[in-house]
This record gives sequence, C-alpha cells and structure tokens, in this order.
Amino acid sequence: MKVDNSKEWHWFKGGILVSLLSVATYFIFAAIADRNYPFGITAGFGYISAFFGKTFAGLNENPVIKRFSEKPDAFIEFFILIGLVIGGYTASKLSGTYSPENIPAVWEKYHGKSVIKRYFFVVVGSILLGYGAALAGGCTTGNILQGWAHLSLGSIVAGASFFAAGIITSKILYPKLGDSDDAN
Amino acid sequence: MMLINILFGLVVGFIFGFILTKTGVTKYPRVMGMLLLKDFKILKFMLTAVISSMILFYLLGDFGLLKVVPKNLEWGKLVGGLIFGTGMGILGYCPGTMAARIGEGKKEAIIALFGTALGILIYALTIKPVKATFLSTEINGNIFLQLGLNKWLVIIPAAILFSAIIYFVNKKVSDNKKIF
Repeated sequence: MKVDNSKEWHWFKGGILVSLLSVATYFIFAAIADRNYPFGITAGFGYISAFFGKTFAGLNENPVIKRFSEKPDAFIEFFILIGLVIGGYTASKLSGTYSPENIPAVWEKYHGKSVIKRYFFVVVGSILLGYGAALAGGCTTGNILQGWAHLSLGSIVAGASFFAAGIITSKILYPKLGDSDDAN
Repeated sequence: MMLINILFGLVVGFIFGFILTKTGVTKYPRVMGMLLLKDFKILKFMLTAVISSMILFYLLGDFGLLKVVPKNLEWGKLVGGLIFGTGMGILGYCPGTMAARIGEGKKEAIIALFGTALGILIYALTIKPVKATFLSTEINGNIFLQLGLNKWLVIIPAAILFSAIIYFVNKKVSDNKKIF
C-alpha cells in the first residue's frame, strides 16, 4: 500500500503555517483567557471528562475535574476540538480525500478484518493516550509543537518519551516491517 | 466573552485541522511509518513548525511582546510520555489528528475520542497517589537557566540540529515510499 502524496501539501508549507498559528494564538489566548502559552488539545478532552465526571461520578471536588471544568482554556480547547473535526472534514472534502472507513486499511491488511479486535485496541490505546497526556501535561501539540519550540525541559523529556514508547509499540505491532529493507 | 471564546476555539481548531489533514499527517500509514522509522514526513513537518515557532517566540520575547513560560520537569513527564507514546503506537494517531480524522470520516476515531476522555477521567480518579509519586519533585523547565547560557546560544544550535535532522531524513527517505 502506497501513501497517495499527490494531493498533499508539502511538509514545509504545513510546518510554517502551524508555527504562524501558534504565534497568533498566543496573543489571543493571552488577551481572552489570561494564559501565556499557545493552543493545545488535551484540555479540550479534559473538558469532556469533567462533564461526565461531574454528571455521573460526582467528582465535583476532584482537583483535575475542577481544573478542566472551571478554567476558560479548557472550554476554548473543547471548541478547538470541534473546529478540528470541521477543519478535517472541509480539507478532505475540498481535496477529494474524504474516505469513510471503519478501521485503517493498513491495520486490516496485517491484523485482519475483525472490527471488534481493532476496536478493542482503539479503546485500550485511547485510554492510555488520555491518561498519558494528562500526566505528561500535554499531547503532541502541547509538548512537541509548542513545548519543543519553547525548549522546555519538561516537554523535551515528554516528547522524547512519546517517540521512544511509540517506536517500541509500532515494532511490536508490525515486527516484519522493522527488519526488512525491501520497502520499495 | 463566552461567544468570543467559542468563536476563537472554532477558528483555531478549523485552521489547525485543515492544515493537519491537508498536509497528510493525519494518515494512519504516515504516523505508523514515522514510528517505524520508514516515513519521515510528519517528523519534517513537526520540526519545521518547531524551528519556526522557536525563533519567532524568542524574537518576539526579546522585543518584549510576549513571555515564554517553559514547562517544568517532573517524573510525570517521563512516565506520562511513555504511556502516551504506547497509546499513540497502538492507535496510529494522537489527540489532535484524532479529531481531524473524525472529520475525514474515520469512524473508529469517535470511539477513540471517548476513550481519551475516559483516560483523563481515570487520571482524575488516581490523582492523589499519582501526584505524590510522579508530580512531587519539580525541576525548573527553563533550559537556559539550567545550562547557565545566553538563550540564543541554545536556540541557534537547537535550530541547526533540527534542520540537520530534516536535511538528513529528507535526503535519505522519500515521502512516497511503499512501506506497508
């Protein structure tokens, strides 16, 4: 399976645009949410967690739930999440790459067509993703796109850990690819 | 105020999602390809953004227009990072690209969205012992302070290092290679 590159932007263009967005959001965040760092994603998921935590588990006094339900940046990042969905939809529709699917085609080729099996991995993987992002104080956006740009020690360690664990996990899931060099 | 927050969030998310999808970094084979060290488009994209924002942030900082506040280092960064990385390896995307993937019609990403929120909820339930174990000792995250160097003596070498990585992987591996 080959990745279709024909309709994609060059990585340089995408990278520069993201950096301009980071700088622009810094100033707006500072003005409306009294926060001195650019946009992130994790707090948006935290806002959803806080909603369920307050409603069903009665965690009103939990410090994590309190933080995500009271701070304005979590509320804003929840709408960043919704914006991301609309942005992904618009970009894929405009470039003709919109492609509904249940599970990734590459996964299907190597791990079988079972949707239940993939969904099991999705549930486990996403719980780890959420837990890890909360503990590390940010995801790829907050800790690499922003944190590495700030050269924060915390983010350098977090981002390096993302890669270290991701590389090992991907090797376990796709062991044959890692060793062969017949990729072409 | 509320309306401004909502609008700002939607606009930033829209632009970010548009860039992510349009650049192709939301694709499962690209993320897995990067982790398998076979496809470096995402790495080049990220490092380009990092170099450019780093220089912009610290230049604007020198002009007194903004103040960069680095994230401190505690054990949670390492442990949380490893947990996050394992999740990313299993999923084949991260929180931001997950949301953009929902827009691209990938149904499993909706399940992943609730799974991620559940992960944070579990974090909230375990916060007491976690805080005592992984978040109690904190090291100041300001790398210039820690190294005792002028900031540009760190920023410029970092920019050169990141550029060298981009140059090296760009020369070695094509973005159009067949991996899977």
